[in-house]
This record gives sequence, C-alpha cells and structure tokens, in this order.
Amino acid sequence: MEQKLYVKVLKFFLIVFVTMLFFFPIYWIFSMAFKPFPEWTAAGGKIYWFPNNPTFNNFRAIFSRKLEMSPIAGTAIRPILNSLTVSIIGTAIAMVVGIFAAYGISRYKAGGNLPFMLLQLRMFPPIAIIIPIMIMWAFLRMIDTWYGLAIIYGVVTLPFSVWLMKTFFDDIPKELDEAAIVDGCSNIGAFFKVVMPLAKGGIASSALFVFILNWSDFLIALILTDRRWTTIPVHISKLQSAMVGALYGPKAALGMIAAVPPIVFGILIQKYLVRGFTFGAIKK
Amino acid sequence: MANIVLDKLVKRFGKQVAVNELSLEIKDREFVAILGPSGCGKTTTMNMISGLLKPDAGTVRFDGSVMNNIPPGKRGVGFMFQNYAVFTYLSVYDNIAFGLRIRKMETEQIDKEVQEVARLLQIRHLLSMPASNLSINDMQKVALARSMVVKPQIFLLDEPLSNLDAALRNVMRAELKKIQQELGQTTVYVTHDQVEAMSLADRIAVMNFAVLQQYDAPHNIYNRPKNLFVANFIGSPTINFFEGRYRGGEFNLKDFSAGKMSVSKENKKQVDDSIRGEDIVLGIRPEHLKVGSSRDGVSGLKAKIVSVEPLGSKTIVYMHPDGNPSAILKSSMDSDFKPKIGEMTSLIINEKNLYLFDKKSADLVMRFGS
Repeated sequence: MEQKLYVKVLKFFLIVFVTMLFFFPIYWIFSMAFKPFPEWTAAGGKIYWFPNNPTFNNFRAIFSRKLEMSPIAGTAIRPILNSLTVSIIGTAIAMVVGIFAAYGISRYKAGGNLPFMLLQLRMFPPIAIIIPIMIMWAFLRMIDTWYGLAIIYGVVTLPFSVWLMKTFFDDIPKELDEAAIVDGCSNIGAFFKVVMPLAKGGIASSALFVFILNWSDFLIALILTDRRWTTIPVHISKLQSAMVGALYGPKAALGMIAAVPPIVFGILIQKYLVRGFTFGAIKK
Repeated sequence: MANIVLDKLVKRFGKQVAVNELSLEIKDREFVAILGPSGCGKTTTMNMISGLLKPDAGTVRFDGSVMNNIPPGKRGVGFMFQNYAVFTYLSVYDNIAFGLRIRKMETEQIDKEVQEVARLLQIRHLLSMPASNLSINDMQKVALARSMVVKPQIFLLDEPLSNLDAALRNVMRAELKKIQQELGQTTVYVTHDQVEAMSLADRIAVMNFAVLQQYDAPHNIYNRPKNLFVANFIGSPTINFFEGRYRGGEFNLKDFSAGKMSVSKENKKQVDDSIRGEDIVLGIRPEHLKVGSSRDGVSGLKAKIVSVEPLGSKTIVYMHPDGNPSAILKSSMDSDFKPKIGEMTSLIINEKNLYLFDKKSADLVMRFGS
C-alpha cells in the first residue's frame, strides 16, 4: 500500500529523532575526549557542544608516564591489557565449551533439560550470585587474578554462546553430516569437515558477541578485582581527583577507546545477531 | 557384488515402533523399492541399511556378514538424500571428490574418477562452479555423482526425485534406471510414489505402520495384492471396495439395493474352499469396473453418476452406489464415453477381475480368474 506523504515525513522525523537520542551519548563521549580541561569542566556553567580547541591532553593524561606529578599518569595501559586478556580468554572458554555443547544439543538432543537450565542462568540478576561467588573465589584465592575473572566470564556468557550457536547448527540440515558419515567420515570428522565450515559465520559472530559482553562487564570485574586486574570499565570509575572530582575528560578518552571494539564488532555481526536472537523462531 | 539380508529388524523411537520385525532379502544387482505412506518406517529402514541408525533388534547382513556394528563409511554404500545434502560451501568438483579424499586416494586418481562420473551424468561443464549456485535439477545430479563416485556396492536412494518438477522427474527416472543397469549395483530406493516404484523396481516392498505388507514383483503387487492396504495403496485411481457377506454361492453387497451377485459355477467351489468367514470385501480396479448396458458381465448392480473427469487418454467416472450415497465408486472408461451426470447406470463387472478379501483379517483370500 502506498503511504501518504505526511506519514512518510512523520516517520522520517521520528526515525531521525530516535537515532539522535541513541547516538548522542556516543557523540558526547567522542567530543568530550578531545576537549581541553576548561571545556570539559564546563567552568562557569558554559556548555561546549563541540570541542573548540581540540587536544590530545586527555589521552596524554592517562597514557603518558612522563607526567609524574599526576596520580593517574600512565594508569590506563594496564587496564586495557587486562580487559583484552580476560575478555579473550573468557570468550575462548565460552566458545570452546559452547560449540561442542551446542552441537550435542542440536544433533543428539544431549543433556535433556540442561539447555533450558543454561538459559535460566540468564534469568536472575548477576548481583544475586556475585557475592556468593566472591566468597568462593576468595577461598580459592582467585580474587584479582586473570583466571578468576576469565573463568567467571566464560561461565556467565556460556548460555549466549550455546543458544546462539544452537540456532546456527539447527539451520544446517542433518543430512549433510550424514552424507559425510556415509562417505567415510567419523562423527567428529563430519563436524569439523562439514558443519564447522558451514557455521563459521555464525561461530565468528557468536564469538564477537560474547567478547562484547565480556568487554563491557562492570559488575563482576568491580567485585572480583581490586588492584592488579581491574578492567577498563572499573578503571574508568576510579578516575577521580581530590581537586576537581570526576575527571570527565580522561574518562571520556578511555571510554572512547573502550567503546570502539563493541561498535565495530556490533556492526560486523549485526546480520547474524538478528537471526540468532530469534532463537529458532523462524523455520524455513 | 552384494546382497542384503535384513533379519527381523526392529527400531523404536521412545515408545513408538518405527520398524517392526522387518525381514527382507535383496538379491545382488537387484533394484528394490520400499514403498509406503509417510511415517511408515521406510526411511528408518534405509538408515539402518546405511548404518546411520542402529537397529534395536535384528541383523543387517551384506553378503552374509553382519553389518550391525560396522560404521556407515566402511559398509561400501552410496547414499543419496531427499534434500541432496550437497555441501554448498564447496565447488561441484570438491563435492564429488569429497568421499574419495576421505578415502585418501591419489590426486590424479581422484581427478580421473570425478571426470568419469561427471561425463556419465553430463555435468562436466559444472565442475568448477560453486555448489551453492546450482539449480535444483543440477544439485540432484551432483548428489547422485557424489554417491556414485565411490563405486558403492550398494546404492541407497531416499526419495531422490520428489523435489523435482514433474517433467524432469520422468527424465531422471529413466536416467536412474539406465545408470543402475549399466553399473549393476544392488539398489534400494525409498519412495512414496507408486509410479516410481512400479516403473523402476524389480521388486517392491510395501510398508505400512512399521510393518512389511508385501514384498513382490510390481506385476504381482498390482495383480495379487496381499491385503486391503496394498490393494488400496497401489493403483490410481484407487481400487473400489464392496463390503458384504457370502453365503451359498451369492455375495450380498451392503451398498446396493439389488445387492445380490451370484458366483459362477466354475468358481463357486474355489470360493467355498478358500473363504474364511462370512464377512468379505470385494475389490475391483477402476479399469475393470465398466459403466453402461453391455450384455456380458452385467452384475445387476446400479449406481448414480456424480462427476466425470476427462483425462484425455481416458475418462474417470465417479458414482454413488444406489444403496449408499456416501460411498464413491470409480470407473475408468474410454475417453469417448460421454455420461450424463445424475443418471442411474448399470455396473458391468467381469467376475475374473474380482479380488476377494476376508474382512476380519484384511487378507486376500482369492483372486478370481487366476
């Protein structure tokens, strides 16, 4: 049906409005990151919508070790490396376990009710379990260690990796594995030779999605780390100074760096995510 | 080469019995079709022959050796799936070479075999194409090539033609028959299409409700169906059934007002000897049930014509028997037959074309005229 012109115009403005609403915080982080001190402190109540005198000082403040007077000098490097380490290892755990679990569930109906129990893991708020976990981790001496954080990341994101990949495996006809098996492959051979190549797009996108989840976690890292293995989000929250309070400029600089991978990956895997999130609701 | 013996195969899925005590012997180089409606257990049977499923009881034997614990890849079978299972991420060439590579064949040898099979199926021009770009018809040929190239002793085809359009189905049917005769493998062919089964197979195994109903040559399946199910399943349009009773040389048929049909003297003794109970079902195929007023074989039975389907080569006439307006009779007449709808007509039945079934057991007790 042909839409009336005013409906089209209305729709257009609505879309523009909503898009701006969502993009404004991102814009604000990016512009703030390049504002000099007087602009981001907004001294005198003046708001600067654009960085009038763009500068890299915010980045210098958190990355350069030369500014020895500053308590935050060079402190951002370690959290970035920490975030990378624990997110990548956590993702690897979730993916390796998830791929095999999803394949078993998809093909052999393995585990009975286990898949749904996995899904239930997502149903109660993390805050409800994080304190008991902290106590367990304290006993195991895994607080503030890379493996302590990576393991819990792998566990928490496992439901996503399993259910996303299950939908991708479900989409691959069983006859393809069977054809390979009749041709002489073992079950595991059929999986690696036939199913994996067909599912690699889905697997890659699941991995990136899980990585984004791990990368942007705040709560778990806040509670399970304290000094050596703090991640970017936790470190951002610590950027304070006695003189001016929250250091919004350096926070924005670090926030911008932290925001880049999710944005890039999110765009890359958007197509797969829309499909995966229907959780098999669409059947061919 | 290879013969296949299935001995009392049983397969259950949970509580449901998919195949029940199936025994079947397939001779070397024979073309056998397993025919039945959806869910009758024919694909399950096929999967047990290929080894993709393990039987819960019974044995599968190839050439006398038990195969139950041999993995599918070591059984020497070629399997063609209904949805073709072509690996879309590979080229046509790599698809066909897949099985040979797993068998670790030399590269030159693989190339020779692939070219040979591609020539046979006339798909050489497709070899370098990605398999994802193929039309459904070409995909079917690639699937066939892939299962043929490993030179299986036994060839298993699971409804290979059911996704094709009608015209190509006929072409491929002829093609399959030719290839099978050339290569001479033992072939098992699963289908729900009776025309495919009748035209291709040396013998047909008709299955229903997980049980083998009849296993015989197509001619016998059609002419001597073992029970009501087989008689009803084979033949298009389907066979006509008249329920009734037999007593003292006379059939008393429920659906007709003048429901008496006497048995001729020469057949009476045979009917008396073979009949098991009074309740019987008479069967007659539409091509043997004629309409009109010919003198020979007039049965005294009357029916009302309700609709007519001119098919070109013949005309199908649908009727209600005069005693039961909810029953339908079918008659296949010559195409120049022009009946009037609503007209009452006589049925012409030649006794030698009748099938006599026992109602209780549903088994054929006698075929007149043989």
